[in-house]
Amino acid sequence: MMEQSKYLEGVEKKDLFAHGHRACGGCGQALAARLVHDAAGENTIACVATGCLEVFSSPYPDPAWRIPFLHSLFENPAAVASGVEAAYKALGKGPVNIIAQGGDGSTADIGFQCISGMFERGHNVLYVCYDNEAYMNTGVQRSSFTPYGARTTTTPTGNKTRKKNLPMIAADHGIPYVATATVDDFRDVQKKVKKALAIEGPKYIHILAPCPLGWGHPGELTVEVCRLAKDTGLFPVFEIVNGKVTNVRRIPVKLPVEEYLKVQGRFKHLFKKGVPTEEVAVIQEIANQNIERFNL
Amino acid sequence: MLKQIEGSHAVARVVSECRPNVISAYPITPQTHIVEELATIVGNGELEAEFVNVESEFSAASVVLGASAAGARAYTATTSQGLLLMSEVIYCIAGMRLPIVLTCANRAISAPLSIWNDQQDSMAVRDAGWIQLHAEDNQEAADLHIQAFKIAEKTFLPTMVCMDGFILTHAFEPVDIPEQKEVDDFLPPFKPKHIVDPRWPRGIGLFADPRFYMETRYILHRALEKSEETIKEVSSEFAKVFGRDSGGFIKTYKLKEADVAIVSMGSVVGTIKDMIDQLEEEGKKVGLLQICCYRPFPRHEVHKALEDKMNIVVLEKCISLGRGGILASDVRWSFPRAEKKDRNISSFVAGLGGRNISVDDLRYMVEKVEKEPAEFEFLGLKKELIAERDM
Amino acid sequence: MNKLPLGLALDLRNVVPYKTGSWRTLLPVNIMQTPPCSNACPAGNDIRGFLRTLAEKKDYEAAWHVLTRTNPLPATCGRVCPHPCEEGCNRRDFDTAVAINTAERAVGDYGLEENLEHKKLIASRKERVAVIGSGPAGLSCAFHLAKRGFHVKIYEAYGEPGGMMRYGIPSYRLPNYILRQELDNVLKLGIELECNVKVGVNIPMDQLVQTYDAVFVGIGAQKGLSIDITGDDAKNVFTGVDFLREVNSGKYVDVGKDVVVIGGGNTAMDCARVAKRLGANVSVVYRRTRIEMPAITAEIDEAMEERVMFRYHTNPVKIITDDDKVVGILSVQMELKEPDASGRARPVPIPGSESVIPADTVILATGQAVDYDGIEVQKRDGKWVAANENLMTSIDGIFAGGDAVLGLETVSAAVGQGTRAASAIEDYIEGNVESRLARPPVIYSRDLNTYYYQKKKRFEKEALPIHMRLKHFKEIYPPFDLEAIIDEAERCFSCGLCFNCGNCFMYCPDNAVKISPKTGLYEFDLDFCKGCGLCAKECPCHYIQMSLER
Ligand SMILES: Cc1cc2nc3c(=O)[nH]c(=O)nc-3n(C[C@H](O)[C@H](O)[C@H](O)COP(=O)(O)OP(=O)(O)OC[C@H]3O[C@@H](n4cnc5c(N)ncnc54)[C@H](O)[C@@H]3O)c2cc1C
Ligand SMILES: Cc1ncc(C[n+]2csc(CCOP(=O)(O)OP(=O)(O)O)c2C)c(N)n1
Ligand code: SF4
Ligand code: SF4
Ligand code: SF4
Ligand code: SF4
Ligand SMILES: [Mg+2]
Repeated sequence: MMEQSKYLEGVEKKDLFAHGHRACGGCGQALAARLVHDAAGENTIACVATGCLEVFSSPYPDPAWRIPFLHSLFENPAAVASGVEAAYKALGKGPVNIIAQGGDGSTADIGFQCISGMFERGHNVLYVCYDNEAYMNTGVQRSSFTPYGARTTTTPTGNKTRKKNLPMIAADHGIPYVATATVDDFRDVQKKVKKALAIEGPKYIHILAPCPLGWGHPGELTVEVCRLAKDTGLFPVFEIVNGKVTNVRRIPVKLPVEEYLKVQGRFKHLFKKGVPTEEVAVIQEIANQNIERFNL
Repeated sequence: MLKQIEGSHAVARVVSECRPNVISAYPITPQTHIVEELATIVGNGELEAEFVNVESEFSAASVVLGASAAGARAYTATTSQGLLLMSEVIYCIAGMRLPIVLTCANRAISAPLSIWNDQQDSMAVRDAGWIQLHAEDNQEAADLHIQAFKIAEKTFLPTMVCMDGFILTHAFEPVDIPEQKEVDDFLPPFKPKHIVDPRWPRGIGLFADPRFYMETRYILHRALEKSEETIKEVSSEFAKVFGRDSGGFIKTYKLKEADVAIVSMGSVVGTIKDMIDQLEEEGKKVGLLQICCYRPFPRHEVHKALEDKMNIVVLEKCISLGRGGILASDVRWSFPRAEKKDRNISSFVAGLGGRNISVDDLRYMVEKVEKEPAEFEFLGLKKELIAERDM
Repeated sequence: MNKLPLGLALDLRNVVPYKTGSWRTLLPVNIMQTPPCSNACPAGNDIRGFLRTLAEKKDYEAAWHVLTRTNPLPATCGRVCPHPCEEGCNRRDFDTAVAINTAERAVGDYGLEENLEHKKLIASRKERVAVIGSGPAGLSCAFHLAKRGFHVKIYEAYGEPGGMMRYGIPSYRLPNYILRQELDNVLKLGIELECNVKVGVNIPMDQLVQTYDAVFVGIGAQKGLSIDITGDDAKNVFTGVDFLREVNSGKYVDVGKDVVVIGGGNTAMDCARVAKRLGANVSVVYRRTRIEMPAITAEIDEAMEERVMFRYHTNPVKIITDDDKVVGILSVQMELKEPDASGRARPVPIPGSESVIPADTVILATGQAVDYDGIEVQKRDGKWVAANENLMTSIDGIFAGGDAVLGLETVSAAVGQGTRAASAIEDYIEGNVESRLARPPVIYSRDLNTYYYQKKKRFEKEALPIHMRLKHFKEIYPPFDLEAIIDEAERCFSCGLCFNCGNCFMYCPDNAVKISPKTGLYEFDLDFCKGCGLCAKECPCHYIQMSLER
């Protein structure tokens, strides 16, 4: 038997979110879901929102889940998880890891209220948002996490608004732990999940999970795209522990946003014959603001 | 022990005696007194339960869904807008076969805003797969909750106890609140069958493609139909233990001899019975068929009870706009197709948005159908308020 | 079909997963490639193999066995090889090449210290092979043949084996005891060695041809060539090769106060530095500039550090003698004109620029040639032994390799040729057509995903301070810290072969990379792989490539 690779020390691979799901090839969300649940381990209950993840992973009779899975609606995993937690408390069962989760649409838009309520009431639940920056399951429509300039089927000329900053909003609920992460850094994702689960109370982890279909990049670039998102400053990676921003991932070599934009079809219209339009400058400014704000 | 008590508090008391593990609710008139009282009971330690103060009815329903899926006995109460806001979850709860008990303090639905009683709200979710029990008075409302938990947990069907808002919830009446021990003896602890538990990983709420969806609906439909037995059984067991007739499928009042049979449900049957007594004195034979369980619909009972009635009138506090009486269509449907052509089933809608239903209104109704059947009519309508141009 | 469970709540313990493999249009495959280091290594060493063994297993013994699969002389090559492997190393495009040569020495020395022994692949067979010359070419050929069970006998003209490693390369670069130990270790495979026998002179070549099933000629280029210059017959005028042989044989050579070395190759550098250690002031006289000097850069640098004087653009005109004894050299300044046939700038004398350099000894390190005494084979360019690609000479059953064939080359080149010749001899004896496998393609840095590698300082070996070096002939590079070498080995990218980084395993969104229960290695689960290509893209060393579905 091969010894565990020394490069994978502290990394969990248990396939609790197993193969046989119907995600597109190279789906960042499928990858993220496995990383999260493998890190959490067997003693975990997954409460999942409607969205790509739920649809591609839970068809009867061959779902990809090997740990308890509970889905009811698009907007309510945080509330359902609250109920599970309340039941565990009331019945004196546990401890158990309860992970509520959903896409950006579920999290930022339709399920926002339930999440806010879950945070505010202080349930011992980890909420994970798989951010693929649009409603993918319904065919790539804009969400409030869709970044400026991105083309979706409901923003055919490019999105005109900026991404809602949910990590900060979450932190302002006074919850003990908030983190952002990207699927390229599996060590970081799993470290944050484990850290979060060790903390009592509500936690929020926001994972950038590229969607080859919606973003218009080949599946093989899912990891690379994450790196570009980080290294351009468009996706800051950090933790907020008890209200304080810490462990900010510093960008080793800052890249211009073009590097990120040009590998994705959803930003193609921002370049006319290869020349960046003024929207690109706006996006660069967004990156610059992130860099300054988080000292990336 | 007989107690002069507000309906809401009576319900809260018995719900507490049913020992729910998780209660989650959101305030809405006229349900508020129920959950306030429950909060007090939990707060003062009389009941050991998690009381989750959520930010909406949608979450309240979601919380009890999660709690029930995790093996807890779970309870919520709402009405009107709250129930509609829950409606998405209401369907889920039934589809997932979670035996949750919900009190619906029946109230009208906006717009225009009205906090007063009718039964449009519970009607709006009648097709969701829940058992719906309707209380006539506060004693029955209290009793039905004890039965509801037992029925739900035996059938794995969520159960809604409907009681008319204000008319019952806010009325002070003597109610016999059973002793805790009696309830404990009657209602065994909840034994869940399918829960989320890492020891036995299950997938709940899976996606069903066209190969499977139909069958899940068929199973749910049949389960509801078959819950008839349980509902009757629990009701008669209740009668045996507590010495009171509460619940069941249908009840009748002076129906056998009646020339005119009124079908209705909820608190209005009290007024109807008064009217029947009055008319009896005047020599008229009018009887009542009270629907105690609206879903599953007691089709065979209705048929049997009304088989020889040629003049039937259905009175209800809800309407299928653009169609007419809802209960009326249920009653019409209760007779097999090869029906006597000359049987009349009239349909009256009354009491919407808290409009009072007086004995006079009811007399008018009976007199009207004695002359000729009424296909469909609003009872107690103020014609002078209606502008033709808007219709 | 199973009945639907209550509420469609499915027991997840017995799920039969849905197979997504049919979605695939491209297929990930593991493809081992040749790393450029090995491609550039004349001895064909499995550099990636021994470095990864050090890095992953921290096991010097295993690394030694990997290295000695190709090269019987790692301690030697680890000292004297100009390491073209490092020129090729993909890591150069990232930061600096892996210190392959240093690691090779560390592993070689470990083998000697621990008395590690070579293992025979085939115990014994009846065929016999004669090897002429015990330089690296001959030794390597003998080594590989002996491992494969052949009876091998080496004939050596000099008193001790090793060829130029013994008599050419000075011991401050390659200590004699290291060489000796490494040679003995090779001979332990049962190789017979007879010294002081010059084939063609002491015994006729024909005799070998008749007695043995094959003969390997590894006679090197042992003859020092001098330029045609007046005064070269004076005492204290040596050819470079002769001078070094004298010193390396342990004889004391009185070089006097001033030594002039003529030439710009490695032999010239060694002569200069040896003379320096004998206490003289040394000048190297060269016609062109440093850039054109053929010697290994490091050798020139070290000579400069040791304060050898370099006179560029200088050409000796004649050796001035007094009473048959050298007193100086008359030289002329040169200027460089348009390139000659060799592509190097052509030096032309500047009229009237003559001057005299004082000299007690003059060393003419100006070339070497094959000593063909009694050995008759076809020649190439009139100088070198002609051999075909299987290293067979014009005579059936006689093979050749090393300097004699290549011209002046390196120890590792000679080792490589010895290895090749051994295979060719085996094929020849067994009557095989061609058993050598084609090498997989070379992988270059553009194919790597270097994101996963960290910048890390290269291990630089440290020489003794100059004043310590010049006092004696002791090796100038003391032994290395074994831990530091393991750290250095970890810098190796493992170009073109899995190094178990786990990326494919962790990144596959379909969990289609599994640990094979049979081999313990990663393998693709084609029932589930959707062919997205993520694993291939994120494999740091390009061991995974996407190919068309069969
Ligand atoms: C001064 C000097 C420094 C060098 N420095 C380096 C260096 O730093 N790094 C490097 O890689 N290379 C160096 N080289 C080159 C390297 O030593 C040679 O390329 C290599 O030794 C060639 O190996 P070979 O086996 O072909 O021949 P050789 O090493 O020349 O060995 C030939 C052997 O054959 C024997 N022989 C010859 N004729 C007969 C015969 N007829 N019968 C029996 N035996 C015979 C000789 O005695 C000798 O032992 C240097 C060479 C010299 C001269
Ligand atoms: C109440 C409700 N509205 C709309 C939908 C349709 N719907 C299902 S998934 C989805 C989008 C999901 O987007 P997101 O949460 O970002 O997840 P993704 O599919 O992108 O992973 C929508 C709009 C729904 N299921 N329920
Ligand atoms: S549409 Fe996007 S998020 Fe959905 S499965 Fe495909 S790649 Fe994943
Ligand atoms: S990194 Fe390693 S395998 Fe790659 S060329 Fe350099 S030494 Fe060879
Ligand atoms: S990704 Fe890593 S583990 Fe996978 S084949 Fe490449 S080197 Fe080996
Ligand atoms: S990452 Fe997985 S699914 Fe994609 S090509 Fe590799 S093995 Fe196949
Ligand atoms: Mg999304």
